[in-house]
Amino acid sequence: MKLGKIAWRNLWRRKRRTLITGISIGFGVMLAVTFTGTGDYGYTNMINTSAIMGLGHVTIEPYGYNQTPSLDKRLKKTGQIRERVLAMPGVNDAIVRITGQAMFASASKTIGGMFMGIDPAQESPEQNLLIRSLVQGEVFSGKDGRGVVVGNKMAEKLNLRIGKKLVYTTTDVNGEIVSEIARVTGIFKTGVNEVDGGMVLLPINSVRITLHYDAQDATLLAVIINDQRYAERMRDSISLAEADPQIEVLSWQQTQADLAGIITMDRSGNYISQFLIGLLIAAGILNTLLMSVLERTREFGVMMAVGMSPRTLFMLVVVESLWLAIIGIVIGIIITAPWYAYLYYVGLDFSGAIGEDYSAGGILVDPLLRIRLYKESIIAILTGVFSLTLLAGLYPAWRAGRIPPVESLKAM
Amino acid sequence: MRSISIYIAILSVIIFLSYPISLSFPQQDDAARKRAKEILREVDDMWRGASSHTILTMQVKTSHYTRNIRLEGWSKGKEKTLVRILTPLKEKGTATLKSGNNIYSYLPRTDRTIRLTSGMMMGSWMGSHFTNDDLVKESRMEEDYDPTVSFEGRRNNQDIIEFTLIPKPDAAVVWGKVVLTVLTDDYIPLIQYYYDEDMNIARTITFNKIQQMAGRPRPTVMRVVPADKLNEYTELIYEKIEMDIKLSDAFFSLSHLKHR
Amino acid sequence: MKILSIASRSVFRNWRRTLITTLAMGFSGFIMILFAALMAGMLQTSERNAVAMNLGDIQIHAEGYRDDPDLYNRIDNAAGLVNKLQQAGFHATQRIYGFGLAAAGSTSAGVQMRGVNLKNEATVTQVHKHVMQGQWLADSNPMGVVIGRKLARTLGVRPGNEVIIIGQATDGSMANNLYTVRGILKSIGEEVDRAGFFMVERSFRELMVLPEGAHEIAVMRPDRSSDLESAAAQVAALARGYETLNWRQLRPFIARVLDLADAQTIIMILITYVAVAMVILNAMLMSVFERIREFGIMKAIGVTPWQLMTLIYAETMIQVLIASSISLASGWSAAHYFQKNGIDLSAIASSTSFGGVAIDPIWNAHVTTKALALPIVFLFVIAAAAVIYPAIKAAVIHPVKAIHYH
Repeated sequence: MKLGKIAWRNLWRRKRRTLITGISIGFGVMLAVTFTGTGDYGYTNMINTSAIMGLGHVTIEPYGYNQTPSLDKRLKKTGQIRERVLAMPGVNDAIVRITGQAMFASASKTIGGMFMGIDPAQESPEQNLLIRSLVQGEVFSGKDGRGVVVGNKMAEKLNLRIGKKLVYTTTDVNGEIVSEIARVTGIFKTGVNEVDGGMVLLPINSVRITLHYDAQDATLLAVIINDQRYAERMRDSISLAEADPQIEVLSWQQTQADLAGIITMDRSGNYISQFLIGLLIAAGILNTLLMSVLERTREFGVMMAVGMSPRTLFMLVVVESLWLAIIGIVIGIIITAPWYAYLYYVGLDFSGAIGEDYSAGGILVDPLLRIRLYKESIIAILTGVFSLTLLAGLYPAWRAGRIPPVESLKAM
Repeated sequence: MRSISIYIAILSVIIFLSYPISLSFPQQDDAARKRAKEILREVDDMWRGASSHTILTMQVKTSHYTRNIRLEGWSKGKEKTLVRILTPLKEKGTATLKSGNNIYSYLPRTDRTIRLTSGMMMGSWMGSHFTNDDLVKESRMEEDYDPTVSFEGRRNNQDIIEFTLIPKPDAAVVWGKVVLTVLTDDYIPLIQYYYDEDMNIARTITFNKIQQMAGRPRPTVMRVVPADKLNEYTELIYEKIEMDIKLSDAFFSLSHLKHR
Repeated sequence: MKILSIASRSVFRNWRRTLITTLAMGFSGFIMILFAALMAGMLQTSERNAVAMNLGDIQIHAEGYRDDPDLYNRIDNAAGLVNKLQQAGFHATQRIYGFGLAAAGSTSAGVQMRGVNLKNEATVTQVHKHVMQGQWLADSNPMGVVIGRKLARTLGVRPGNEVIIIGQATDGSMANNLYTVRGILKSIGEEVDRAGFFMVERSFRELMVLPEGAHEIAVMRPDRSSDLESAAAQVAALARGYETLNWRQLRPFIARVLDLADAQTIIMILITYVAVAMVILNAMLMSVFERIREFGIMKAIGVTPWQLMTLIYAETMIQVLIASSISLASGWSAAHYFQKNGIDLSAIASSTSFGGVAIDPIWNAHVTTKALALPIVFLFVIAAAAVIYPAIKAAVIHPVKAIHYH
């Protein structure tokens, strides 16, 4: 109908007012994009980093391991499970590992910590943070042998260097105490003190022998997926495929509840803030539209006198608010685009503010603030803008339709 | 008990190396080594015997406390050892049982027996400079080390033989090497050094007060000094040693641990 | 003043327009106040979480203790020092620590035992209120202990169960005793959750043969808004020979994160203000420009430009005044409500820790004078600024042009 055109022209009769309102909507868009986008990027980063610290996005574990971890709980036939999981769509990698607690001793001292038994063939710097953080030496070459990779803080405390030996003592599958020797092949530094001072990498087959495990036994399978947002869905599909009462499949939200908690809280805080600001902008829109309706009382009166229905007037104002929303979004895109591009490609560097130790909820925080907007978020923001603007326009539209023709001619 | 076993391992090393063959034919290294092991085992049997029973006093001096306890110990073979505190009264009845790789502690105050976890193995045994791990490891010295003679002759007006024990590549020991010096006569140990991998001395054990006990001359006082705290020591003073007495397996059971 | 009465009359004559404008401004002010209060509350809660639960504002240790916690490295005459601090007006408590093994049934775990001075501890931290199951410690029950959440799970114990503790006492003997779990704590922080084993001070001293001295003295400022550094300096002067640090030095990571959050809130508040500015600008502009005809007529009948400007300003200020009252009334009551009740985020995030410290998932607002005053001041400033352009325009426009203005 011609309504669209009329509405558009009405808006531009009051250029300044329309522009100011448009800019305020645009500003709201920029805000929403910035906060949602940096949040999304930050969370994705944290989730992915924490996934490669040992447990993956989805973890396949022996039943009950998450609650009470111990070395007598293990998965059997992990080789086959791994093949099946790798074949599933959306799975980037599935890594078999053994994890447990041990005491590490050198001639000078003994400290407690954790070991991760790995197969270097399955691991890579992308999927294993400790390997990625190697600063000296290298990872042992195979899954056998007496190599060990330690953190720099542990190396300091135990007075270790490349080639020096350490003895680790742990409890095997039967509950017996066992000790083994290993020689340092590499040293890593993650920046997280607990990890640098308490974690080591060992060859998985050597660990199996020490613990008296069977050939394919392991503590867990860490599944890395392509898109962290689908973690729970992946967990459900893997759970279905590997239906076995001895096995539990958990998503990172379950294995790292602290991280999940922080993200949820931060996100909620974010949304509440955005909501409040959205209300503010809606108030501004309401103000504008209402004023514009009230000042056109005469005009509307005349239109009704010549036969326009109240319903049409209502729709007219509604369409005006729709146009306003679109103008606002366009302005928003114009304002936001360069800012978004900057954050996307360059990002804001906060490392000066955070300093050396970047851990939060036990995992690393990236000091670089960047942005990443998912399709869902874009749709959500657009929907939000439209809904708010429309909502704000409802009352004025209703008022427009209610003006009795005669009264209006007496206008202010 | 533990110290006896270390003692024994040391002596066994001495004895086997006392045979001239291993000393004068270096090109027969393999044969010499095989011989050394045989002799080691012989001596081990000789000193540890099929079983043993000892009473000794342990004195510990650290920068924070001085401790004197009187202990009674039994051993059977290499795997079983039982040690019980006799005095002071406050700790009487506290006992340690070593059975294979496991160590159990009985604590009379709470009337509880606990099995030591891997986390506790490196903790000090009875407040001394020995660790719980030492108790387990000392019976494995023969399996864990490769011995050679590093010196033989006169030193400080004494005829001595010096042995160097290098840990085997797979042995789960933290030391870089162990060096033991003994008198050529009767192979009585004088001093033993434990080195870390950088070949710095980490601890020293000295042997004194040679007396006749259970049929042979032996050092009856053994002192352990950590290299990083030279004013601290743990000293074992043997009062009585009996060998090859009758001890049943049940003697080394958990229930017997509680016996006062 | 004549202008005021004219101004107020014109304001109330067009009550509809006034209503809309003042409501818009009033609502903006309300949002600003609520927002500021929520942000202030979040910061306060974060700091409280980090500090008041377990850490305290300031801590005293013997030199070298923090790097290498040794049972023997103690603060001598700790009780005396605590007394001195209390006399100087601080809240202080002494704590003793030791490491040992806790065993229950067939499981065991390494723990950090803490001897707690019940009377003093309650003046410094809130930990005694954070018992999840069972009860807090009591001097009348010396063998009752309170343990961390995760420790309880590892050992598989509940209140009423027995736990044995084994450690090495100061005299070298094997410390061991049997205790009963009296309570299990809520999430306090990583270390306490995993290995926290709290006992009555007397019981610890008996167990570990430690008749006097302490490893840590935790201090709290009596007035939490006083300067942290000067308070720490005061404490350090009383604790000569020992190491005194404030919580920011003890937990630099949390300090930095809170500072960042602080900066973030300021940015968010600034942004809110900008959004508000635009709303008010719009409202003011509209309200003047659509009456330009009226102003033109006034000029035609002899009102001077200056008088016109004053009139416009007077009207604006009256509107802002009304708006401020709306903002204050609504803002204050909402902020106050949320201060008391807080937004409960626990439905979404049950327990969380950040940098090793537990976070309470309830978001409380904190009503400060700043949160109330700044928005109001801002309203006035912005409204005044927004009206400048239209007021000047109205003042100088030629009357005939004004009448034809559209």
